[in-house]
Amino acid sequence: MEILAEGYNAFETDKSPSGVVKYLDKPQDVIKLIQSGKLKEHILLVRGGTTTFLTPALSMGAIGVITMSGAPESHLGILSREFQMPCVMTAYLTTSDSRYEVGNVDEKHFREIAETLDGRTVRLDCTDSTVGRVIEA
Amino acid sequence: MTSTEGKRANYKQRYEPDDNGLRFQDLVYTGNFVGQDPVPDGILGDKVLKERAKSKVLERVSKEDALRDQFTIDELNDLNNYLAWNIWDVLVMRATEGVSGMIPRQEYEILAFMHEFYRWPEILRMTTDAVGAQGILDIGATARREIGTKVNCVHDWCIGAVGFGMGRCGLLALEVIEADDYIEESNEILKFMQRVLWGKRQDGYILNSQDRYRCQIHEPDFLQTIVDQVEPLEPGSPKHDQFTQFNASAELLAFLDHYDCRLGLGDTGPYELPDGKLLILRDLFVNEEAYHWSDVCDDEGLPHAYSLALIIDPELLALQEIRVNDISTTFTRPKNYIQAIVGGAVFSREKWNTPMGEVAPIKIADLGEHLPKVQTATLKLYSKTARMNRRDLIWNGQYVYYVDMILPHLRLAGTYEKACEEYKLWEIDQRVANYYYDITKRGFAQETVPQKIFSGAGYLPFSDGADLRRSKYRWL
Repeated sequence: MEILAEGYNAFETDKSPSGVVKYLDKPQDVIKLIQSGKLKEHILLVRGGTTTFLTPALSMGAIGVITMSGAPESHLGILSREFQMPCVMTAYLTTSDSRYEVGNVDEKHFREIAETLDGRTVRLDCTDSTVGRVIEA
Repeated sequence: MTSTEGKRANYKQRYEPDDNGLRFQDLVYTGNFVGQDPVPDGILGDKVLKERAKSKVLERVSKEDALRDQFTIDELNDLNNYLAWNIWDVLVMRATEGVSGMIPRQEYEILAFMHEFYRWPEILRMTTDAVGAQGILDIGATARREIGTKVNCVHDWCIGAVGFGMGRCGLLALEVIEADDYIEESNEILKFMQRVLWGKRQDGYILNSQDRYRCQIHEPDFLQTIVDQVEPLEPGSPKHDQFTQFNASAELLAFLDHYDCRLGLGDTGPYELPDGKLLILRDLFVNEEAYHWSDVCDDEGLPHAYSLALIIDPELLALQEIRVNDISTTFTRPKNYIQAIVGGAVFSREKWNTPMGEVAPIKIADLGEHLPKVQTATLKLYSKTARMNRRDLIWNGQYVYYVDMILPHLRLAGTYEKACEEYKLWEIDQRVANYYYDITKRGFAQETVPQKIFSGAGYLPFSDGADLRRSKYRWL
């Protein structure tokens, strides 16, 4: 099983959801996914670590989230714990040297992660106290 | 639940005088302490700040100290340094969350910071004049016998940390003020903050971080009335899921109603119960009548706040440290305290001024009637927010900070209407209106200000010999 990406683990859990990664870029993407009725088939990939963007997905029972920024102390980290929804935050690709740094990261970093993970079937491993892992399923 | 087998709770060691607490993050803080050892987070960081203070303002202070109208320059600088570290302590990791994709939060935050620093001083002075210094202490003290009140850690902290600390920091970064400008106004803001917090805590400290991250403010007899309503919960049971699902859903709406900021959430505690369990009291403000977008919450018949009692078993969690930080948020090590919740209670406060005697308990079995209302309001508010243009989102968010952070205090002082009518609270100051066009240039909102705030480099000290009466007289 290949580890595709790692990041901060929002909270420790034995839950290990799997699904096809779905990159959500705009609020309309979130609404469209909810309306499709296929929310629970996907691990959601988002750029920010805030809650507002993913609000309907959290409310309707998203099974797992990967973010490209943020930490367990961010609102999405807090809410993922409250919903007991595994969440890997500030994920980076294990095959890339590019890392998220506040105020010092370009679009290429986000694009590379989205293009690599979107559409892949993965499983989240959030058992470690600090590191969350995205594993190819 | 991840296994804690064989591990024992040792969180009480954190309360022993020689204990330095755990590190919740690897980063360290420098601020105005260039050339000295960097400062870590948590209990040890608080100790270092107290050791480096020139005055006694970070120790337990007396009521007379709080009632005194004037800080010294050393006291102002010690508070400036402490708040700057405290902001870093609670927010540096959260601030890595980047863009929202929905609400331009960095933009609305920086506008609100600066607006607050300019406009709050005369409104806070008017409020202090109306009720007296003792009256401000009394406003803080109301929180000792209430739930569902916004006179809480995060609001009280924001007066000084955001209005003074980050507001002054932002204006210094924009180079529209200098370090010794607005000293009198800074004193006004910080005195208001100190008095509210002193009245609330009544142990001489003002911040939770000064007391090893405890906010144990409620009177024992009041607390007992809450504990009497607690229902046992077995982790993994449907009833447990019902309670935690409601907690999460109401918290989600509270964040959204407050534009993705922490003002929607208010934790106090941890309170140790006779059986060794810990109680966290949590207010979730799901319907703020001051916001026009909260009409969707009205439509669903949601109250001003739901308050939850969370009973946590420290042994089940193998708890190492618990922090109720100064933005009213609970963090633990290990992190996942949800599955160590072994009891709970829920209350509903209809309006901000509903008397405590009319605050209604809700049986956990009845939460099924409330959850769909919360979820429907959440979806409606999301849909409404997604249709707003960028400017509306920024100014709405700005109001959440600039108005809500002092709203509970003005309401209790009876000066909110006067602030609106005579002091034009809901108008935007022309200076700040013009800054709207500056903050998106050269990465000011998303890079410059966060860097100044979280490195601590932007909280310039006041000069040793500066005149305490000084405002700003020159625009050169």
